[in-house]
Amino acid sequence: MIRSASVAVTGLGIVSSIGTGRRQFWDALLAGCSGFSRVKSFDTRDYSVHVGAEISDFYPEDYVLELQPAMIGRTSQLAIAASRLALQDGALDLADIDGDRVGVCVGTTSGEPHYIERFDDQYVQGCTEQAGQELLRGYPCHVVPFNIAKELGLGGEVMMIPTACAAGNYAIAHACDLLCAGKADFMLAGGADSFSRITYTGFARLGAIAPHVCQPFDRNRKGMIPGEGAAILLLERRELALARGARIYCEVAGYGLSCDAHHMTAAHPEGEGAARAIKIALAQSNIRPDGVDYISAHGTGTPTNDRLETIAVKKAFGTHAYKVPMSSVKSMLGHTMGAASAIEAAVCALAITYGCIPPTMHWQSGDSDCDLDYVPNTARKHEVKVAMNNAYAFGGNNSSLVLAAYSRSGRQHQ
Amino acid sequence: MKRRVAITGFGLISSLGDSPSLFHQQLCEGKNGLGQIVEYEAQGFEPQPGGRVVSFAAETYLKGRPLRPLDRTGKLFAAAAKLALESSGWTAEYLATHDIGVVLGTMFGSMHTISHFDRQSLVEGPSCVSPMDFSNTVINSAAAQTAIWHKLRGINSTIASGATSGLMAIGYAADLIQCGQQMAVLAGGADEFCFEAFCGLERAGLLCGPASKGGCAVPFDGRRTGMALAEAGALLALEDWDSAQARGASVLGEIRGHANAYNAAWNQAGRGPEAIIRAMQCALEDAKLSPSAIDCISASANGSVADDRNEARAIGTVFNHGVALTAIKSMIGETLGAAGVLQSIDFLETMRNLTLPGIMGLEQVDRELVPLNFCRQPTFISAQAALISSLGFDGHACSLIITSPQLA
Repeated sequence: MIRSASVAVTGLGIVSSIGTGRRQFWDALLAGCSGFSRVKSFDTRDYSVHVGAEISDFYPEDYVLELQPAMIGRTSQLAIAASRLALQDGALDLADIDGDRVGVCVGTTSGEPHYIERFDDQYVQGCTEQAGQELLRGYPCHVVPFNIAKELGLGGEVMMIPTACAAGNYAIAHACDLLCAGKADFMLAGGADSFSRITYTGFARLGAIAPHVCQPFDRNRKGMIPGEGAAILLLERRELALARGARIYCEVAGYGLSCDAHHMTAAHPEGEGAARAIKIALAQSNIRPDGVDYISAHGTGTPTNDRLETIAVKKAFGTHAYKVPMSSVKSMLGHTMGAASAIEAAVCALAITYGCIPPTMHWQSGDSDCDLDYVPNTARKHEVKVAMNNAYAFGGNNSSLVLAAYSRSGRQHQ
Repeated sequence: MKRRVAITGFGLISSLGDSPSLFHQQLCEGKNGLGQIVEYEAQGFEPQPGGRVVSFAAETYLKGRPLRPLDRTGKLFAAAAKLALESSGWTAEYLATHDIGVVLGTMFGSMHTISHFDRQSLVEGPSCVSPMDFSNTVINSAAAQTAIWHKLRGINSTIASGATSGLMAIGYAADLIQCGQQMAVLAGGADEFCFEAFCGLERAGLLCGPASKGGCAVPFDGRRTGMALAEAGALLALEDWDSAQARGASVLGEIRGHANAYNAAWNQAGRGPEAIIRAMQCALEDAKLSPSAIDCISASANGSVADDRNEARAIGTVFNHGVALTAIKSMIGETLGAAGVLQSIDFLETMRNLTLPGIMGLEQVDRELVPLNFCRQPTFISAQAALISSLGFDGHACSLIITSPQLA
């Protein structure tokens, strides 16, 4: 397919366990900071693991100004903060534009899990007489983008795409399609998830959580570490961005989505679907495999994911797979679930902007299954004109997003 | 040049059957698919109307493999997908050479599975939960399970926007086809009937309540008190128009346009029809049709006091007051993610059978409503174009325009 318009990334809003706001986040990322600590939001006494990547210094009242912070869930609070930061970063004053032409598209894994967790607590204690209203008003995952729209007074298309751990990429992809079709002038798109007992319990039961740190692509990697966070990207058509003199971080050149149709939790053993998503994304972006300068990996740190992801990248990139640096910021942030791929899309935009690649931290020893260049332990200066953002989810939902540098003389990669 | 989007198949699992023609026929006969929800009395909920698909046996549709990995929402969606696949005329050869996308709209998704999983962990300990249940706690599980069951490797997405989710999923899928991302997509919605959803809606005061206390879930009726919660799974098979023509498919209709709108001031006093009007007008604009080209409207109305009134006001603002107006939720209840899709299937059958179902049970149109052509009885109609309307409970609206394949 040929895109009818180019979509520019003009604002980045990030709330994470290692820093809030573009600058703080990027500095922490390049310094290799980690957000891992003992889980505080619930008691992990009965669990065999106790570490998570929670955000400890988030104050919702700093960002939630129109709604009452206590009346909305934590995921909405994080997402509203990321949205305000993105608008601020993109120097877009909503008072200057028609709110009905601004849409919101967010991805998530769990939406607002605390409401149902609280309901479950009451249920097992046998006291649900008063409980329940929050299951409608607070819990359903669509409330997250709706709360953003309410807080900011936006009236365009408001949508949640809950495709689990790849959801941020799906949301950004759809936002780009809406902009190209002229159905919105601006989109706030990204992902958000708050730390969830249910998610933690499930991954602990699968034996997928590492005891201390997340070490993607390392021979002794022991698993992922659940986290929380939000990232919202301000997206607009290129000509509109130029007309208002916005800073353009990069453009979304294209995307590829595919489904393994294989197994709910196990990825395809040959990385078929993941490789197909990469190929679709490259074809749509009109970029050859050797035109990619950086891959932001899904890189959860589980033995299987990292092995299969490496296979998929080799399958799609051929010999270039060994030349292109690929790092996983989950080594620092943990797995922020539905927010992860949105945060990583922001990482790609920043890598393109600053010519620097964040490291894969906690990497100690090579693995015959994982033998690519994972940018171990130290950030690297590296010119990035084209970055690919890969993310995969339960259900075999695969996604690859291509972000490319923009220059006034035309797209640099062409 | 935008590609056109053909509807080449449909499938549904509902309390009024699993066949589009039988579903439509029963709607035209004014049959009631609702029963009484009696099983939550222990939790303090008096019996009230609700729509479980009591006869649903997933193994009738999904044969040869264990069904344990699917939860009820997954089964409803995968079974309806099976019927839509059969109806589409996609041959085994076509399916082997084309990646089919799957787009599911759902309001609550796997909420029941999630809650059950969490409670099991609380009661028995975190090491006693089922990994299989955990895999279904993701909200995209029904779409993914459907793809796994039917080997559909195209774009697999899930849309959550409350009760408009199903109609928005169709719009999202149509966009994927229009911009060339995907040639063929199964799109629709599903929500299972579960205690958690019932409890949430009841406590929020949105359900109609027991009939003995005057509970009435009849759209636009002056006696209405709220909605009757129900469940269903329903999908359309959507396809790039030219490739559908090339394979000689029988085209049931065309997705001509769609739009979504949100009213940010929804919870403030004076919540009105503004977002609904905007969704309807933008959908007409997207379809490049004038309001007079629309032959009938399938309303979202479900017995909700405020939303039915706002929808009537919106229709009265955008359309000629004589346009034929139906609403089917007094018969099938509020099926959330499946609702807009069931309305769409009903319209495709309306075009075929030249009969628009009446609004069952509508005796006394609410005097406060804008006077419209509320069809109380089945009405003969030769319809070429319909607007399907879907409203959420949070101030958002979705409109979709379906036209006859013959309409230029």
